[in-house]
Amino acid sequence: MEDKRSFWSVFYEQLASLKFTIFILFALAATSLVGTLLPQGGSQEEIVARYGAAMAKIIDMLGLADLYHAGWFRLLLLLLGVNLIVCTMERLPKTLKLLRYRDRTVEPEKLLKLASHAEMKTSFTWDQVRPVLERIVSETIGPVRRVEMPSGDGAYAAVAEKGRWSLLMVYVVHLSVLVVLLGALTGSVFGFKAFMNIAEGESTDEAEPPSGNGVFQLPFQVRLDKFDVSFYEGGMPKDYRSDVTIIDGGREALKGSVRVNDPLTYNGVTFYQASYGSVLKQAEIEIQNTQSGAVYKLTLPFKEMVDIPETQSKIMAMHYEEDFSGFGPAIVLVVFDEGAKPAVSRVLVNHPDFHGNQFQNYRVRVLRTEQSRYTGLQVKRDPGVWIVWCGFITMILGIGAAYWMGSRKVWVWASTGAGKGGVRIVVAGRADKDTFAFEQIFEDLCEQLRTELKAEDANAAADGAPKAGSRKNGQEIR
Amino acid sequence: MNSSLLLSIVTFGYLLSAIFYLSGVVFQRKPLLAAGGVCGLATLLLQTAALGRRWMESYALGYGHAPFANLYESLVFGAWAITCIYLVLERRLKQRSLGFFPLLIAFMAMAYASFSPEVDSKIQPLVPALKSNWLIAHVVTCFLGYAAFAVSCGISITYLLRDSKLSNPNPSGFMAMIPEPRRLDELNHQMVLFGFLWLSVGIITGSVWANSAWGTYWSWDPKETWSLITWLVYAALLHSRSLKGWRGRRVAKLSILGFTCVLFTYFGVNFLLSGLHSYGAK
Repeated sequence: MEDKRSFWSVFYEQLASLKFTIFILFALAATSLVGTLLPQGGSQEEIVARYGAAMAKIIDMLGLADLYHAGWFRLLLLLLGVNLIVCTMERLPKTLKLLRYRDRTVEPEKLLKLASHAEMKTSFTWDQVRPVLERIVSETIGPVRRVEMPSGDGAYAAVAEKGRWSLLMVYVVHLSVLVVLLGALTGSVFGFKAFMNIAEGESTDEAEPPSGNGVFQLPFQVRLDKFDVSFYEGGMPKDYRSDVTIIDGGREALKGSVRVNDPLTYNGVTFYQASYGSVLKQAEIEIQNTQSGAVYKLTLPFKEMVDIPETQSKIMAMHYEEDFSGFGPAIVLVVFDEGAKPAVSRVLVNHPDFHGNQFQNYRVRVLRTEQSRYTGLQVKRDPGVWIVWCGFITMILGIGAAYWMGSRKVWVWASTGAGKGGVRIVVAGRADKDTFAFEQIFEDLCEQLRTELKAEDANAAADGAPKAGSRKNGQEIR
Repeated sequence: MNSSLLLSIVTFGYLLSAIFYLSGVVFQRKPLLAAGGVCGLATLLLQTAALGRRWMESYALGYGHAPFANLYESLVFGAWAITCIYLVLERRLKQRSLGFFPLLIAFMAMAYASFSPEVDSKIQPLVPALKSNWLIAHVVTCFLGYAAFAVSCGISITYLLRDSKLSNPNPSGFMAMIPEPRRLDELNHQMVLFGFLWLSVGIITGSVWANSAWGTYWSWDPKETWSLITWLVYAALLHSRSLKGWRGRRVAKLSILGFTCVLFTYFGVNFLLSGLHSYGAK
């Protein structure tokens, strides 16, 4: 029992440690790097062809081909989240305590140990000194708060402080990371992503999920009325636009256009212009029987069977490729003979003499093709996106505040007793960041005090080289 | 005088400024450092004018877009951002001895943009994917981040050189004008935090933009992934400063590693990996 508890406490301590944070950050960086070197989302065949069977097996086992969606990668993200939460639980109470902290006493001896400090004497009376002192300190740092000293020796003590709240910014940034992760999780659980190709004039409610398996059914139909692509004079693409109509429950619910950078949303489902292409409507071909020399002209509507004259065979334009291996468009023809396996051949449209333009004992020539455009739309619903946006805004505000805000504090102690050679003043300060800038500010503050109070350094000899000696312990004192 | 000619002059201006800064440190002559600063500022103003001119020229060609649309324009803007951030730092610190590395990097970016046959300096129209108000926000914020990291990398190299002479608290020769290591370390931290802020904003604007252009705010495209890797490395750096014994040399080395990631995000992804950002390669 005793052992078990100590194991868990050690485990918890490890989870809450900064070393673990840094380990997770580097582990995420390194694994993400691997994912950019290996092609992601490819098929098993491609991987085998590229890396060999043995390597492919390892890649498959570790899920490296779809690394960012692999279980162990998500586990790393989860560990980052757990580390953030545990660290916050460990440290936030201490920070809150620090935020509520009020100085109850100010001891001049302790002030003199801070990195930035000064001790001076003035012959002015305390009544003259106090307004000047408080004005200068509050102008430089912020409102001056008097510390009532319990000792009752009549000494005056006060603190001025700025930006204590900036201590919380680190928690704001960490919270924002958790919010972004939560938004991403929400999106992947309650949202969907799919892809649809629609030819001009056609409508569909089917989309293909990224896995490539199965069909995603939308609750409404999408019709592509027109797809338009325009080019600049130099040939670079200028605009892609799909004019679509949403048909919901049999009636036209929404007409609109989808452009790159300008998506269309209907009922929480958003359509994005992703790709485009051409499909074959019909092809006119000429076939010549190489034995008899007879020539026939055929019109092949896409994916419809057509009889080959004077035979029992049928032919079909099965598939259209816009560019086959750099040879331009090609049509895949399939010939069906009774009792035989269908024969497939690929015919190049722009190369009539290509030796492969044939099937059985026929030469084929493509006379004309009629195409229609299709558009490729990315379809998405992501209810988590607003959570992610909130996380993003919080993150920017948090990091920005952490950069521009910092806490600064100045302590003042003064002996008010008159007639003992004037008033002795001790000033000290501390900043949690940008300490060199603060040193300058502090120096300016002391200089202003010296000028206005006609004060002299009380310990001129000891303070003669304040920087060399005092900087060493500057980091440890909080 | 068109913008290309102005930008060629800018290239040499940065080279001259870098030489001034280096010789100022080597010969321990403050006037040379001041000359570096003046030369850098004059060149920066000239470059600002050139960028404005290029913007106008794109309108004259009928394209009308901010000069952030291809590799050439981003390199030029990168050089501008580095010099700008460094000069602001120099003004704030009243410390001129750190100018060599930033100006050298700015010069190299300009020289690569101007003289490499791989980089096309023509003003091109925007492809549909880039036609968005997010273009300016995304590019400007990313490059502010990259530039801060470049300056931080320069400070880190200086730190490592300076720190190797730590046994001598008042080093002579080259290092006499360089601030003490602890100060360099703190400067480095501020620069990294500044860069981290802008890199975060850059990734976020890119992500919001991607969501409206491609339908997903994060698609693990190589560019996105590498910017995340960069972000993670700098996040680790910022955390490691709180670990015992990690300040100083290790942080300086991490900053150099981080800038290597920036360079890979910028060049490596364009040239070696393919993805949605490939239009940045020409």
